[in-house]
Amino acid sequence: MAGQTDMELIKNGVRLDGRKPDELREVKIVAGVLDNADGSCYLEWGNNKIYAGVFGPMECHPRHKQKADRAIVQARYTMAPFSVNDRKRPGLDRRSSEISYIVSQAFEKVVMVEEFPKASIRVDMQVVEAHAGTRCAAMTAASVALADAGIPMRDMIPACASGKVNDIVVLDLNKEEDNYGQADLPLAIIPSTGEVVLLQLDGHLTPDQFEEAMDLATNGCMDLYEKMRAALENRYGGSK
Amino acid sequence: MSEESSSESARKLVLPGDLMETKSKPGRGIFRKDGRVHASVVGHSIDKSGYINVNGIKGRYNPKTGDKVIAVCAETGPSVWRMDIGASFNSTLHHSESGWKVPFGDTARFLAIGDAVWAEIFMVDAAGSHQISLKKDDCRKLYSGTIVRINPTNVSRVIGKQGSMITAIREKTQTRIQIGQNGYIWIDGKGDDISRAQEAVEMINKESTSKGLTKKIEKLLEK
Repeated sequence: MAGQTDMELIKNGVRLDGRKPDELREVKIVAGVLDNADGSCYLEWGNNKIYAGVFGPMECHPRHKQKADRAIVQARYTMAPFSVNDRKRPGLDRRSSEISYIVSQAFEKVVMVEEFPKASIRVDMQVVEAHAGTRCAAMTAASVALADAGIPMRDMIPACASGKVNDIVVLDLNKEEDNYGQADLPLAIIPSTGEVVLLQLDGHLTPDQFEEAMDLATNGCMDLYEKMRAALENRYGGSK
Repeated sequence: MSEESSSESARKLVLPGDLMETKSKPGRGIFRKDGRVHASVVGHSIDKSGYINVNGIKGRYNPKTGDKVIAVCAETGPSVWRMDIGASFNSTLHHSESGWKVPFGDTARFLAIGDAVWAEIFMVDAAGSHQISLKKDDCRKLYSGTIVRINPTNVSRVIGKQGSMITAIREKTQTRIQIGQNGYIWIDGKGDDISRAQEAVEMINKESTSKGLTKKIEKLLEK
């Protein structure tokens, strides 16, 4: 990847932030934090801070985007100007349009869109603080927000990245590893079936490393799924 | 929805995708896959008389023919009104269903944007669009008063067993209250009474899952 450094990103199996190669950063998920949205979620993942809000199903605007037989998911990923070190110019750019698009595609796989013809389900994700892995974090937050909005879905989708630093495959890259590492592989799956709904790869991996990275990210997703469930159970009082 | 669900022992919180261990037939909030049933929404599962249902905790109002709702005018056309009933789409109120003799293009004189009515849903089609009517029973335009919006799934809590909760609120606050199945509640009375009733309704909406709610509300209204 782009960045070059002599920095040793992983030493004796311990990473810069003290994690093992197969360890996630600390994740905190709170469901239902916003009053005005139909469903919402706040997520902290390492130093990432993300809000997600869901509206709908509601009438789809612009009208030409309506589908006569199903709903569409209109996801919107935005980063706050203060979310990164160099002030980010606000508004949509190439990167955020791409992420918005792939997230919409992924959610249309799990949301029961056929129940709401002509409708639109709006998912807004706002990155308040970014520290690598925001697309996965935003997607995870959006999943919880969708469930919180009471929108029928086949499953919730956790998303988690793995990658390669100093020729070692690791889970959940942090900022330094993302900038100076060798590969980044964001993955989102449907936990009940194992189907992949989002997969991107930036950098180089050998076929063996790719398999390893996939396994690692899948396990990461499953861990995350438990945390998402716990967040919703916490919000709605668990089993009674 | 009825109140007796709370006394069911099989009541359990389920999340989207959860497999339901049951031999019952699938009902609401359920989808089938490979011959097995899964929950599709966050809600409480109730397995009763051969059917398994998941009552969603949140979500927009799903219109059903015959439901009495409160609708707020959102848009006027030459011969129709588009009414907000809290569902995914606005509902249509055609002038022929209004009971008034409306000259073409003069709809706003009868029902302007923001005006509310007590209406019945008389048609829902497969595409999800629906129409309401003012020609049924006690349907009418609502003058004065205020409208409180709550989660439609909490409507049965506001009504209470055999209307116990709503009767208590009505008597204690001396207000007229009408509850739409869509979670829009119309309250009319003296200014102070309205705000007390509104407070009670909002509290029920917020604490719909807590126990001894009727007592809490009575206590709130004693003040």
